[in-house]
Amino acid sequence: MEKENSLKLRGGFLFLFAWMVSFVMLAQNITITGTVTDSESNPLPGVTITVVGSTRGVITDIDGNYSISVLPADQLQYSFVGLETKIIPVNNQKVLNVVLEEQADMLEEVTVVAFATQKKENVVGSVTTINPGELKVPSSNLTTALAGRVAGVISYQRSGEPGMDNADFFIRGVTTFGYKKDPLILIDGIESSSTDLARLQTDDIASFSILKDATATSLYGSRAANGVILIKTKEGKEGKAKLSLRVENYISMPTQDVELADPITYMNMHNEAILTRDALGILPYTKQKIDYTASGLNKIMYPVTDWKKELIKDHTMNHTVNLNVSGGGTVARYFVSGGFAQNSGLLKVDQRNNFNNNIDLKTYSVRTNVNVNLTKTTQLDVRVNGTFDEYTGPITGGTQVYRNVMRTNPVMFAPYYEPDADHAYVQHILFGNYDDGSNFYYLNPYAEMVKGYKTYSRSLMTAQFEIKENLNWLLDGLRFRIMANTRRNSYFETTREYIPFWYQASSYDRVTDTFKLSLLNEDHGTEWLNYNPGSKEVSSDFYAESVLSYDQTFNKKHVVNGLVVFLAQNRTTGNASTLEGSLPYRNINLAMRATYTYDSRYNFEFNFGADASERFHKSHRWGAFPAYGVSWNVSNEYFWEPLKDIANTFRIRGTYGQSGNDAIGTGRFLYLSELNMNDGARSAVFGRDNAYGRNGISIRRYSDPEITWEIATKSNLGLELGLFNAFQIQADIYKEVRSNILQTRVSTPAEMGLSAQPQANIGKAEGKGIDISVDYNKIFNKDLWLQGRFNFTYAKSKFLIYEEYYYNDIAPWRSRIGYSINQSWGYLAERLFVDDEEASKSPKQNFGEYGGGDIKYRDINNDGQITELDLVPIGYPTLPEIVYGFGFSLGYKKFDLSMFFQGLGRESFWINPNATAPFREFYYTNESLPGRPQNQLLKAYADDYWSEDNQNIYALWPRLSTSAIGHTNNSQTSTWFMRDGSFLRLKQLEIGYTFPSLLLKSMHMENFRIYFTGTNLFNWSKFDLWDVEMGGNGLGYPIQKSFNVGLQLNF
Amino acid sequence: MKNILKLSIIFTLVFSLGCEDFLNVTPDNIATIDHAFRMRTTAERFLFTCYSYMPSHASLNENPALLGGDELWLVATNSNPIWQIARGNQRIVNPYGNAWQGANGPKDIYQGIRECNVFLENIGLVPDITETERRRWISEVKFLKAYYHYYLIRMYGPIVLIKENLPVSASPDEVRIPRSPVDECFDYVIQLIDEALADLPVKIEFEVSELGRITQAIALSLKAKVLVTAASPLFNGNTDYTGFTNKDGTPLFNTTFDKDKWQKAADACKVAVNFCDSLGHRLYEYIPLFSQYTLSDTTMIQMSIRNAFNEKWNPEIIWANTNSMSSGLQGNSTPRGLDPALTASTGAQGNIAPPLKMAELFYSNNGVPIDEDINWDYANRFNLRIPGHDHRFNLKQGYTTVQLHFDRENRYYASLGFDGGIWYGQGHYNDEGDDILFVSSKQGQPAAPINLSSYSTTGFWPKKYTHFQSVIGTGSTFTRENYPWPVIKLNDLYLLYAEALNEVSGPSTEVYFYLDKIRARAGLPGVEAAWNVFSINPDKYKTQAGLREIIHRERTIELMFEGQRFWDLRRWKTAVNEMNNPITGWDLDQSSAEGYYRERLVFNQTFRLRDYLWPLNENTMLANPMLVQNPGW
Repeated sequence: MEKENSLKLRGGFLFLFAWMVSFVMLAQNITITGTVTDSESNPLPGVTITVVGSTRGVITDIDGNYSISVLPADQLQYSFVGLETKIIPVNNQKVLNVVLEEQADMLEEVTVVAFATQKKENVVGSVTTINPGELKVPSSNLTTALAGRVAGVISYQRSGEPGMDNADFFIRGVTTFGYKKDPLILIDGIESSSTDLARLQTDDIASFSILKDATATSLYGSRAANGVILIKTKEGKEGKAKLSLRVENYISMPTQDVELADPITYMNMHNEAILTRDALGILPYTKQKIDYTASGLNKIMYPVTDWKKELIKDHTMNHTVNLNVSGGGTVARYFVSGGFAQNSGLLKVDQRNNFNNNIDLKTYSVRTNVNVNLTKTTQLDVRVNGTFDEYTGPITGGTQVYRNVMRTNPVMFAPYYEPDADHAYVQHILFGNYDDGSNFYYLNPYAEMVKGYKTYSRSLMTAQFEIKENLNWLLDGLRFRIMANTRRNSYFETTREYIPFWYQASSYDRVTDTFKLSLLNEDHGTEWLNYNPGSKEVSSDFYAESVLSYDQTFNKKHVVNGLVVFLAQNRTTGNASTLEGSLPYRNINLAMRATYTYDSRYNFEFNFGADASERFHKSHRWGAFPAYGVSWNVSNEYFWEPLKDIANTFRIRGTYGQSGNDAIGTGRFLYLSELNMNDGARSAVFGRDNAYGRNGISIRRYSDPEITWEIATKSNLGLELGLFNAFQIQADIYKEVRSNILQTRVSTPAEMGLSAQPQANIGKAEGKGIDISVDYNKIFNKDLWLQGRFNFTYAKSKFLIYEEYYYNDIAPWRSRIGYSINQSWGYLAERLFVDDEEASKSPKQNFGEYGGGDIKYRDINNDGQITELDLVPIGYPTLPEIVYGFGFSLGYKKFDLSMFFQGLGRESFWINPNATAPFREFYYTNESLPGRPQNQLLKAYADDYWSEDNQNIYALWPRLSTSAIGHTNNSQTSTWFMRDGSFLRLKQLEIGYTFPSLLLKSMHMENFRIYFTGTNLFNWSKFDLWDVEMGGNGLGYPIQKSFNVGLQLNF
Repeated sequence: MKNILKLSIIFTLVFSLGCEDFLNVTPDNIATIDHAFRMRTTAERFLFTCYSYMPSHASLNENPALLGGDELWLVATNSNPIWQIARGNQRIVNPYGNAWQGANGPKDIYQGIRECNVFLENIGLVPDITETERRRWISEVKFLKAYYHYYLIRMYGPIVLIKENLPVSASPDEVRIPRSPVDECFDYVIQLIDEALADLPVKIEFEVSELGRITQAIALSLKAKVLVTAASPLFNGNTDYTGFTNKDGTPLFNTTFDKDKWQKAADACKVAVNFCDSLGHRLYEYIPLFSQYTLSDTTMIQMSIRNAFNEKWNPEIIWANTNSMSSGLQGNSTPRGLDPALTASTGAQGNIAPPLKMAELFYSNNGVPIDEDINWDYANRFNLRIPGHDHRFNLKQGYTTVQLHFDRENRYYASLGFDGGIWYGQGHYNDEGDDILFVSSKQGQPAAPINLSSYSTTGFWPKKYTHFQSVIGTGSTFTRENYPWPVIKLNDLYLLYAEALNEVSGPSTEVYFYLDKIRARAGLPGVEAAWNVFSINPDKYKTQAGLREIIHRERTIELMFEGQRFWDLRRWKTAVNEMNNPITGWDLDQSSAEGYYRERLVFNQTFRLRDYLWPLNENTMLANPMLVQNPGW
């Protein structure tokens, strides 16, 4: 660097220099002209050309042309920041066109590892690095880009709702059944959430690495058991300001819609559902109503509402803009970026309201990275980043809108009525509803959607300060740096809503075709908005680390590396609901690393992390996590020479070690007991008129000072192979044993009367798998290049120790030991009962009432009844065990094309039999609705269900039921509703065109590319009711496909 | 050198953060269980915590005795967990009404027992409390511990006795405790009650703040009840449970009948009855403090019957549960559309329905069963008949109804609402007035089924639950005179005493005395008089078995809907006979009287031997392999 720095001359000085040189030139007899270009044939302006051994020189003009007068025996040196300096003898040539390649040591790959970088060929740990460019997706959510692109990451996306569409991702799957399963995310060393990652601008990323094994992660001690995602943002480079602009506009729409049955079928089947269970039941629809509805007699009296159409648009438009500028001089360098993204939802807006109830998520981000050389040996880095979300949307969110649509009767009422003569004066919207005399109205999803809106603001600010000191004067190779950062997160939401007025159409007179609208809830409805403060989150993190490192090469063969890290962090939140939650979260970590490399052939590494967490009792606070590793660069051996042309590189790596996890339970200070000294749920009242009451005391957790770290012991064997100068293959095979997993004890019988089940570090689990990546890079000629990549991740887990019920000889198949952590247990559904008689003769099924047409389960233990002892492991785990992706990018002249496929395999999911049960009143967990829901009827069910007329014992849906007791038998977790979650999809297709440089020059542009991207275009799977990636959550906000037009400009 | 200085400052700064203090973030006074017993006020909260596990007797979802038997029925779509027991859906996976684990309805009773033990272990530590109060609290908690054990025994038979708490850190082997033989269980309950008795208050002095807390009268009454239960056929010499043993072979039931158990029960009943009498408890009679109307004798008698249950703190009530109020139940039992002026009101749901067979259980107006009454035409009970003027206090004059409703005892009219039946009260207090409410529930009438949930599936309503002053309003309002659920009443004790006496020594004047007291309040002649004159079986009361039948019937009628029959049928071992009959009601879809008054099958109820005791959840035996399942499950 220093050498180039000294060669780098500022504009004015250069001019003077060139002017002086021109005098000297007069005395020479040869004039050389030429053009300097980069490897992609772009002309390079500002290249310094000097005559070796003299101070004479020129610089190239804007077109890369130069002209210099030299002696025939002279040598010319061409240099440019970031490019390899070339020295070329003149040899009487008149024209010297020079191509400057990218600098070799820039090309030499370095890998970002914990607290440092290492030369790629010296890394012994398992680290995946990915070119940030590959993470570009037309979505403001980076997490959706990981699946199939990063070897070693298991990832899937369950919802497409803007702001709620983070994909779930796990490094090497999930090996714990404890609390925290997701990886540690460090953005420039700052511990971040997955939402922070989601909002990161791809254009800002300099490097993206996934640390997977013990040597790579043990330095992070307690935080790293689930792997680490390390991201560094870009920094400025010396040189003139470079400006890069990206603009994208895209249309997004659901990949697939759930199909519903027609309303007449709905009514007939609803009636059938009542009668088939209870011959005395009262029918919801009279024959008259069905006939009139079918004939379309009066659309208001006999409404047919396609709720989805009323509420949801076909597509929506989204925008993103990203701009960054970087550059700098000898003293300071900068990288500044700003981004803006707007994502909107698919919801319709009622123009009669003066607010927007559709989802509109605007994300702004600003990033400034500045590096300043304070002295010759001291560098100061300051990084400031702000990410801001502004959201407006429906009160309960987009997913809820979808869920509501799926739970509303299509023939009961219209979304709203036009005011009739009696209500001409009315200012509010006349929302439809129906009063059946129970004083509990139905859910009107339209009203729920448009009755108000929610806004939220999220601000995330991080500021970081780092000083790097080169201690060469003390000891050659010694460096010290200290870094401190703070992260401030604030979030608040507000909702404003009115209470809808419900109207019912009644008193229909068929002769005159008239009806009356009657107001149902005069007392409750409001025409004005009321305000509800929503949840608020504020948190503040402080983090400091100091690193002393030593890096030295002896006799050119012995490379020694050492590192000592000390770090401390503190987090507080401002809105904790309990005293315990309000106390600061703290960690201290002391870590060290020593590596030794001999002759670029043998690498040895030792890591040690000692970490203390405030969450444990003093006696169990510290955890020590050592890790060791070796690697052998086989291809650097002499005997490999003959093979070098075929197998350019070949390395073998192996590591073994530990890391920890302190986020093991939902509560904090698990060693302490937790009491509610004023528990209303344990209150009692006395007195003639219940005048004297006292709240009670309850124990929510019993104390246990023994509770401590969860420990991950990881071993990894890796192989890296480069073939034919084109293929780069990296394969890792690993095994991980997670011990001390906190689990709730089940050995405490109910008779003990504990108000909370104790927990203890007893669990143990194992993870195994492989991750493979293959990259192919080939430049065929000036016009044609091809890149291909393939990633494959297989991660399998199993329980080793798990405290469970006493199954030993009673039902050994119930034991989880040996099964995947995400394995489901369920009943084996054989078929539907043929008739009531068969049902009564078969083993008794202990859930609700059942008969012909209900699901028949297998009596595994042959005890004559179906109980929980008959549950057996069914299907694949609920988390995919295989995630893979493959794709290629192809460039021909100015065009480029890339395709990327992604898939996952070995995953099972269950169609939620409750959420899809026709006509049932279904509530999601912890959900309270303002009205009574009534499930829609899926077309697939209407087409294929057991009925008394069509007694298909393998029908998709069993005998209909509206009551819980008739439905419980069929809603058990069983193989009946189990589906294969594997799929392969065309995740991305992109076609780009880069404008020719000649054209750009006139516009002072360096690069201008226009591209079209399609995302989630095709999908191949065995499941067709909804987008299979959503799993059992298919009635929520669908995953989106999008079509994007983007512009990329560099100045 | 400057750099070294800088460096060392930075190092010192950073490392000084690293000391242990940085990690000691928990303040010293985070609440622990010790804090509960450092002051009287917190200890009092713990006392209330012990009370908080008292089962909610008035809750349809929690009390198995309301919907778990055959007294009340629901519409088919109802998802009440207790009702599934009545429908024969009880199961070993996630059983209904699982008090053992506190799931599917009831509270976690074992948890309540643990809290009681924690209280008893620690109450000695509280410094600022008088010894008298400390002893009273200890006694109250011992009583609660006894009640909780009794509650489980009644359901499960032999249970695991938790005399002392097991430490949380105990090893799996230590916590796996087997069930105790049922006699031992009853003994332990009695022992706890005896220990509690002395220090309990004789009666509550601070009525405005303490009514509902445990007194000596309550403890003595419960003791009587527990001993009667222990002496009853289910638990006394029940040979059905021969061979029902723990894994080590310990028999859980004593299959030899022991008459002495009845003697003990009778003695305890006598003590309780005498003690309650001495405190001034008496059978309630309705004497309005102020009334602008002069009511007929019929109405007065019926109000005595109805109010004895739902007039709070009346002299008949020995123990009422202030933590389980009747408010919800009143809404469930009042017919929607009762008041024709307020048919749109949704305040009352009227969806709990006594089956027709309950209506048939009531006596004729002569005080004998309708199928035994020589004057009562049992065979033609479903014939239509139009009430005349003389029936005006019971039936709507001129409104065609059915013979079954005619010439019945007052408890029939006081306890049940039905099509054509007068419904006194609810804002209409002149029993001679034209505006007096009556139920009309045929198709097209106000109380007919118009929606899927708010109607009676049989055509009967348990009027007894509704306080006569509760008022139905517009919209969803139903302003209720709320009352705490009476757990033990004097009439219950009288009947227990009569029963125990008959079991010990057969018919006697003392037995008749207590029966007749009850009958007199209902406006009926005494047992001897009634049977002698009106029964086709006039000598019935003279034999022990005959009198037993009469006592059982009297108890069923007198305590109808009060959460007694469910347990009585079990302890008498008569549930197999009584609960294998169909649940029936009127044909609700009909608008004509001819159509409506046809008996319609609602449900075919079955009761098997195994149903006498609750099943243990399958997983309790997986968590504690020392446990054995109840027979038949």
